Amino acid sequence: MEATLVTDLSRAQFALTALFHILWPVLSIGLSIFLVVIEALWLKTGDADYYHHARFWAKLFVLNFSVGVVTGLPLEFEFGTNWAEFSRFAGDFFGAVLGFEGAMAFMLEAGFLGIMLLGWKRVPRAIHFFATLMVATGASLSALWIMMANSWMQTPAGGSVVNGRFVVNDFWAAMFNPNMIWGVSHMWVAALETGCFVVGGVSAWYILKERHPAFFMKSFKLALLAVVLIAPLQIYLGDGSGKSVFNYQPAKGAAIEGHWDTNSVDQGAAWAVVAWPNAEQGGNDWEITIPNALSLLATNRWDGQVKGLLEFAPQDRPPMLPLLFYSFRLMVVIGFYFFGLMAVSLWHAWRHGWQESAWQSRTWLLRGWLWAVPLSYVAVEMGWIVREVGRQPWLIYGVLRTSEGASQLPASSVMFSIAGFALLYVMLAIGFFIFARRWLRKGPDLTLEPPPSHRAESTHLKERR
Amino acid sequence: MDMQSFLVTFWIGVVGLSLLLYVVLDGFDLGVGILSLVAREEDQRGLMMTSLSSVWDANETWLVLLGGVLFGAFPPIYAALLQGLYIPVTLMLFALIMRGVAFEVRHASRRKWVWNLTFGVGSLGAAITQGMILGALIQGWPTLAGNYAGNSWHWFTPFTVLTALGVVLGYALMGAGWLILKSTGTMQDHAYRRGFWLLLGTVAIGALVLALTPMHNTHVASRWTGSSALPYLLTGVVAMLAALLTLWAYLKRNEYWPFLGTLLLFVVSFISLVVSLYPYAIIPGLTWNAGAASSGTQLFMLVGILPLLPIMLIYNSYLYLVFSGKVDETASETER
Repeated sequence: MEATLVTDLSRAQFALTALFHILWPVLSIGLSIFLVVIEALWLKTGDADYYHHARFWAKLFVLNFSVGVVTGLPLEFEFGTNWAEFSRFAGDFFGAVLGFEGAMAFMLEAGFLGIMLLGWKRVPRAIHFFATLMVATGASLSALWIMMANSWMQTPAGGSVVNGRFVVNDFWAAMFNPNMIWGVSHMWVAALETGCFVVGGVSAWYILKERHPAFFMKSFKLALLAVVLIAPLQIYLGDGSGKSVFNYQPAKGAAIEGHWDTNSVDQGAAWAVVAWPNAEQGGNDWEITIPNALSLLATNRWDGQVKGLLEFAPQDRPPMLPLLFYSFRLMVVIGFYFFGLMAVSLWHAWRHGWQESAWQSRTWLLRGWLWAVPLSYVAVEMGWIVREVGRQPWLIYGVLRTSEGASQLPASSVMFSIAGFALLYVMLAIGFFIFARRWLRKGPDLTLEPPPSHRAESTHLKERR
Repeated sequence: MDMQSFLVTFWIGVVGLSLLLYVVLDGFDLGVGILSLVAREEDQRGLMMTSLSSVWDANETWLVLLGGVLFGAFPPIYAALLQGLYIPVTLMLFALIMRGVAFEVRHASRRKWVWNLTFGVGSLGAAITQGMILGALIQGWPTLAGNYAGNSWHWFTPFTVLTALGVVLGYALMGAGWLILKSTGTMQDHAYRRGFWLLLGTVAIGALVLALTPMHNTHVASRWTGSSALPYLLTGVVAMLAALLTLWAYLKRNEYWPFLGTLLLFVVSFISLVVSLYPYAIIPGLTWNAGAASSGTQLFMLVGILPLLPIMLIYNSYLYLVFSGKVDETASETER
């Protein structure tokens, strides 16, 4: 009993710390790439607006990045503190990947961050640009390693269990496990999408408030153009990830869709648009379905067979079915909202151009962008809930159960740490919002003098000669 | 030397190097935070934090690297260590979170004193918990299949309180050395005066810890006596010389050697401690060899990480080079 309690407490703590942590890296990844683009545009065009954009967004970036650093640290240690048995079992692969993450990505980010933020006047432009590029590379590499480790927990590959420990015999196969490409790309594009909607939403706010509208139209335009590619791409990747789930984690797929009975071969599976899955009854209390749609979604065929939850022993089914069911639907709805917002905005730009006044007269459209800011975070959180709760009751899918991976600890210790994290994170979130609000109100400093380029100085000298 | 023992030795080296770099780099960083608690004026506290603003992220990252390579190269040790030290490790994380947040929020805040205090308390908390972890590692703890078997407060004893005090004083001493490098005028003057007393305190507590260590660890006791004692005696002499060098630097009011001398003292003490404890990672049950990942994994990690180590060291040095020289609150605030 004590052991299950401790496992549940450790799960709760991991959920809390991971769901809170992921809020920050998504923006760090997206915004760091935006900063690279904006700095490149400044270097290329010499337009001081881009320089001021770089300085303005970098302030948000550093605040966001710091919270990401300090909330990421506990995750790296929780595998040992709370999941010691898992670490011993899977360390041979999982630990190595985390080691790579620590060595490559994080060092790049943190090492060059100081130069990117404070080095404008201390290093040449090219080195500064290089530092910005390295920060962005580091952030994305970090996502690559972490998603590689996580996807391996979803679809373990490349080794076998020997003497109660997972021993890798093919690192390549473990790294490029079946879920890896989907997991990495879906998360990375989610980060880009969040970055675009934060930049676009904040810019829309300034345009709406008629503060520096021409200045912010530049960042809004960039965000919108990026979303033209990203929003449909993300829907495609989400669909692909879903098919991969049905392929490799059938119980998870069935749980997400509230699908109980395996359909017979000649009859397609219906898709429950809304329903209330009931684990005790072994069915949905009520549902509204579309015939054949689940077969199409899961297998690409009109009458493809989709395994139902009843095929699996009760102890092998994921818990919290309604949470899974509705988290997934909320994420999908938000994904399509983004697509719609992009389409309408693109149409508007097509018809009315990029004049601020044309956009300001359509407040509903700009407000749509404001809403996109929190929604992009909600979508990320929902995605993680689906991914991780759906993996239960396994820690490593089909190989190690969650209860087998937890540390043996006194329950009081874990209660103490959960309380501490909860308190600290509430304070952190409040602190961040207060300062983000202040940053927003203050706006960009358009009086900053861009650092002189060395080339400009030397050509100037030549001319004088 | 066969492949396996080469790999284990290599990874002990990398773990040791990351830990050492973390201890000295975040050590002075935390030390400045501890000193900020006793600074008399608000301006000085601000200046202290500014002197760290460009490097603290990078310094703390060595802890991330340490966690990563320990997990990858020695999973059972990583697991046993963190599970056995659940409470002090968690408290250390809390302290580091407080500190990191204070750093970035302070710039935008109107009530700077709140964040300066958070920063100081976080730094002190991190130093205390790290000192207790150090004490716990010297004492060791009984393990059963990797899990700690015994009193869950094993990390809280008179001895670990003493090591915590030693680490707090030692970090503050390094912090004083850093401030001497980075400041001028009254602030530098304060750093010289505080550093001098901190040096005496650190050496006194260090000597006491040294004297008590053989009582808490029979393995180390056997190492430090008899025929194997000579190298340890030599490192003791080097440590003493480093302390004397630092003392001389303080008396002469030299700008560089208070920091560099303390650094030397830390490096020598660190290396002799790790060597004294070898082959154990956690005394008495877990050796580095028994806690190693498979050779395949260690080789895989070596191929991936070895080429990066020199790059990491170079760009971290470059970072310090770019931001070398005295700090000036006004300049750095406007640059942000």
